Amino acid sequence: MPGRVSDSGDSLVPFSPEVRDPIVYHLQHGLKPPISRLSISWSRGNCLRVSFFRPSSSESDTENSNKEIGGKVVEVKLSSGDEEIDDAQKRKIAYGSVSPFALLQNRKNSILALSKMSMNSASYHVEWWQQVTEYSKEINSLLGNPKAAPTSVIEDPRTVVKTVEEPTCLKAAWELMEIFYADKQSHAWLPECLVDWLADYDSLLSATEATIHSKLVDLQKELVNLQAIEDDPRYWEGISSALAVGWLDIVVKLLRLHGSYQVDQLGSRETENGLVEAVAVLVSKMPRMRPELSRRGLGECFKTKPDFMKAWEKWRGHIAKLDCSAFWLKCDHRQTREGLRNLLQIMLGNTNSLTTATCNWMELYISHFLYIRPFTMGLEGMYSLAQRCMQLRPMSNTHRLMGLILGILGENTEVVLAECSREFGPWMVAHAIELLTAGSNQAEMLLHEERYNLGGISIEELHRLVYAQVLSSHALTWQIAPIYLTSCMKQGMGLLEILLYKQPVQHNRMLLKSLEICRLYELDSISTNLMKIAGIYHWKHGRKGSGVFWLQQARDEVRLNRIAQQLFDYVGKSISDDSLKQWEGLIELLGSEAKTAGGLEFLHKYRDLKKSLQKVQDGKASDAAKQAVESLILLMKNPSTPQRFWLSLMHDSLKLLNWREHPLLNVSQTNLLLNKLQELSIARLRPDFCESNLPPQALSTVRLALATNLGRAILEER
Amino acid sequence: MATEMEVAENLKIHRFPQSKYIDALRWVPSLSAFDRFLSLALHDPDSDSSSIEIHSLTNLSNNPTLQLQSSWSSSSRVSSLRVTQNPAKTLIAASTFDGSLHFLITHPVKVSIESELSISDKNFHIGPISGIDLVSSGSECVTVGEDGRVNLVNVGDSRLNYKRVFDSQGLVSYTAAKWASPTEFATGGLGFSLQWWDQRKPGGAVSQFKGNWAHGSTSGIVHSIDIHPSRKHVCVAGGSSGTIFAWDLRWQQQPIFLSGIGTQEGAVHSPSESEVWEVQYDCYMQSPNISNTSSARVLPVMMCSEDGVLASVEQGEELTEVLAEPCAINSFDIDLQNPSDVICSLEWESIAFVSRP
Repeated sequence: MPGRVSDSGDSLVPFSPEVRDPIVYHLQHGLKPPISRLSISWSRGNCLRVSFFRPSSSESDTENSNKEIGGKVVEVKLSSGDEEIDDAQKRKIAYGSVSPFALLQNRKNSILALSKMSMNSASYHVEWWQQVTEYSKEINSLLGNPKAAPTSVIEDPRTVVKTVEEPTCLKAAWELMEIFYADKQSHAWLPECLVDWLADYDSLLSATEATIHSKLVDLQKELVNLQAIEDDPRYWEGISSALAVGWLDIVVKLLRLHGSYQVDQLGSRETENGLVEAVAVLVSKMPRMRPELSRRGLGECFKTKPDFMKAWEKWRGHIAKLDCSAFWLKCDHRQTREGLRNLLQIMLGNTNSLTTATCNWMELYISHFLYIRPFTMGLEGMYSLAQRCMQLRPMSNTHRLMGLILGILGENTEVVLAECSREFGPWMVAHAIELLTAGSNQAEMLLHEERYNLGGISIEELHRLVYAQVLSSHALTWQIAPIYLTSCMKQGMGLLEILLYKQPVQHNRMLLKSLEICRLYELDSISTNLMKIAGIYHWKHGRKGSGVFWLQQARDEVRLNRIAQQLFDYVGKSISDDSLKQWEGLIELLGSEAKTAGGLEFLHKYRDLKKSLQKVQDGKASDAAKQAVESLILLMKNPSTPQRFWLSLMHDSLKLLNWREHPLLNVSQTNLLLNKLQELSIARLRPDFCESNLPPQALSTVRLALATNLGRAILEER
Repeated sequence: MATEMEVAENLKIHRFPQSKYIDALRWVPSLSAFDRFLSLALHDPDSDSSSIEIHSLTNLSNNPTLQLQSSWSSSSRVSSLRVTQNPAKTLIAASTFDGSLHFLITHPVKVSIESELSISDKNFHIGPISGIDLVSSGSECVTVGEDGRVNLVNVGDSRLNYKRVFDSQGLVSYTAAKWASPTEFATGGLGFSLQWWDQRKPGGAVSQFKGNWAHGSTSGIVHSIDIHPSRKHVCVAGGSSGTIFAWDLRWQQQPIFLSGIGTQEGAVHSPSESEVWEVQYDCYMQSPNISNTSSARVLPVMMCSEDGVLASVEQGEELTEVLAEPCAINSFDIDLQNPSDVICSLEWESIAFVSRP
């Protein structure tokens, strides 16, 4: 394959060289062969547009191809292959993360401004941490709540593993990031946080191979069928596995299902039962270094290391004592004896027992935290322990969460980012970067540094832009892309402008939504341009009123003047008295101000003249007539009145010119009209003159009327 | 599915995320004593399909849930949705961007869509129908469009007939319509204009109102009109720039402002600065005795806006905010049978149900 990108480290978006299984899409085009040409292009979002062309008619049998359509366009929606979360759910997450993200950016800016003013940055630092934690928690809650299953009043003692809402890898990944980067308080009890994390998400790891969770689920199915469960090795395996990863409630629950608890057997198996109960009590008394218990919680919590150490030593002492107890000899039931002593070994931190009890390195890792190295602190130690566990219990294929964990433990920001991007997509990266930058100065420098190979933008900006691009590609999410674009200092505004120009303007509702975004971000010039585009669109589709409205809103005098010429043609033909009703609204829309109406101002005055002429016709005598004359003179004086209307204006006003009682126009007014008429006669000789559709004798009729009026006016003025 | 949230004034708010865009929504009156019904006009841009769905809203007191009852797929996106207020014979009218009009007749008890009548005549409207309204009996529907046509649709025997009231031939675009009486209706349009029509006086609008306060840049579009049955001479209209105004036919050239930033007075408090998508008289905020309140006063009006506000405004009073969302509220409807309850559709593919104390 030529042009294959070799991973030189310059690539903009992390490129994974591993080739996944290709997905085959079957296209139904329904055309008869032959297909002469195929064109493939990107449509909106992840849609691929494939156009099939049949040979043109000249090349093949004309008769045949006339019946057949010339081609067909098929759209193929490519899926990312991540079926864990469907598109609607993804959109819901996208909507939900807008507010926390925007709020965090706001606070970041204000804290930045404040810290610049005063030198005391320590208090801002603390405050900032609270903001980041809050942000992380809010985003986390969007990814689904592992709600506790509804607790029924009578709990089935055989329900060991409660089925709750199916967890997602995305949430698991976010929680990991939160534990390590956002939640400062958790740093003191990081190991216990990981114990809780595994308890919630162990089921995710079982997609490819067995896990403790899947083992327990299998065991639960069997529990109903088993008579004496303590005889079954799977029972003891299940208990030891659950114990190894600290699911103490399950351990105790399973132990209490032991046959020796049954009333009819209690007498004969007293010692055995005593041992089972002793182990169960020890398990439930396990000291934990954490502030409070989780929902899987059993054990005793200690907040400070010295207290915990003391309790831990004491607890271990009890276990060792029980391990050496003489009662074991009196216990006849072999499986129980061995099973229980194995549990003690696990609690004493026997590496072999832990390794056998766990299914993968992550589980082993957690068991080490619980029973061998409960004081592990610092990422360095955690990382080396993880590597040792991986050697002891390798996983046949790497789960996507494992890559992320290793990146985090290895304190390698680039790996973490690459894993987020590759496995969880642009949403994850764009939002998780906030946690990474909050986590360490070094990461902040790395992510905020402007890079030459990225065209002068930082990694943070790059990933925000990528995410904004994803949002922009969908009709329902493009509106939230501006939030992310405006947080990008370098390229954001430019891309926002492009995004706005791409939005459809056909429907007012959608146009207004775009204009609202322009208003929010003070993009006046874009908003003006969008209005112009909309204006021309409506004008071209015969909606003259809408066209004029939008061009007026855009204050586009050039185009208003140009369309005015077209409107005048229309007026010249149709503005009869009947159609005045139709025009009324448009003329109202224009308003009386010349500026906003452009050349269309003429229509307004024309309408006034028409109205007063109508009144004259209705017989409402001289007042109306005087008004009409005023309108007429105003129109004729106004330079914006197109020449081609002069004659028809005067022709329409013949009644005024021939007013019976007395001449309505004085000498100067009549002269003005006569001059215009003269100008018109000369203009007629020019080739570009356009003839009005008045009767041929109109000119002479008007001239005669004017002459008569002039004569009468002269007489009157004497 | 619903997440509950308690707001200061004991409002109960429940959100129901959908996986499609909600173009419009209305309450559907029903004879049922327990359940309420909603009709939703939905659009899915991924499959480019639109539909009208009827959902029941059950379990109102503790944990309301929405359940799909019945669905009808539309050939084009729905631009306007109306429902008659007669529970015994409910009619849902929907207009589309393609210029077609559909009447869906529902079963009175099961509240499911039983039959459909439609007009998709090419001459009916050119392009989208922007506003429709049903007379209270449901026998007649007015439709207006940007093409400048005003049509009246009658339900005949198993078919719809229409007659053209007016055609401005695109010189004027209409964006909203509302009946005032069985013979009169009002329309709204560009430049904050309102028209008053009377079927007894054919040939054009009998009265016109142009918002003269708007000078150039602050002009806008009327998106929604409401007329109170007891005061048919007052039209209340909502539109661009947070504008809500009342037009009293008796004082024609002086609009009464309830809200807006483009107003010259500037004193009017405005809950929103962007598009007011819908206005409806808020019968819940009304004083119990309407006849006592001065007839010059505009009754309280509920509005929803592009900047995510759902609020009640009253002339000369502080506004009562019901919801403030981070996204646009595109439409809402007050349940006339239970005026304390409001549903609204949010831009981010979800519905909010608000119950006021």
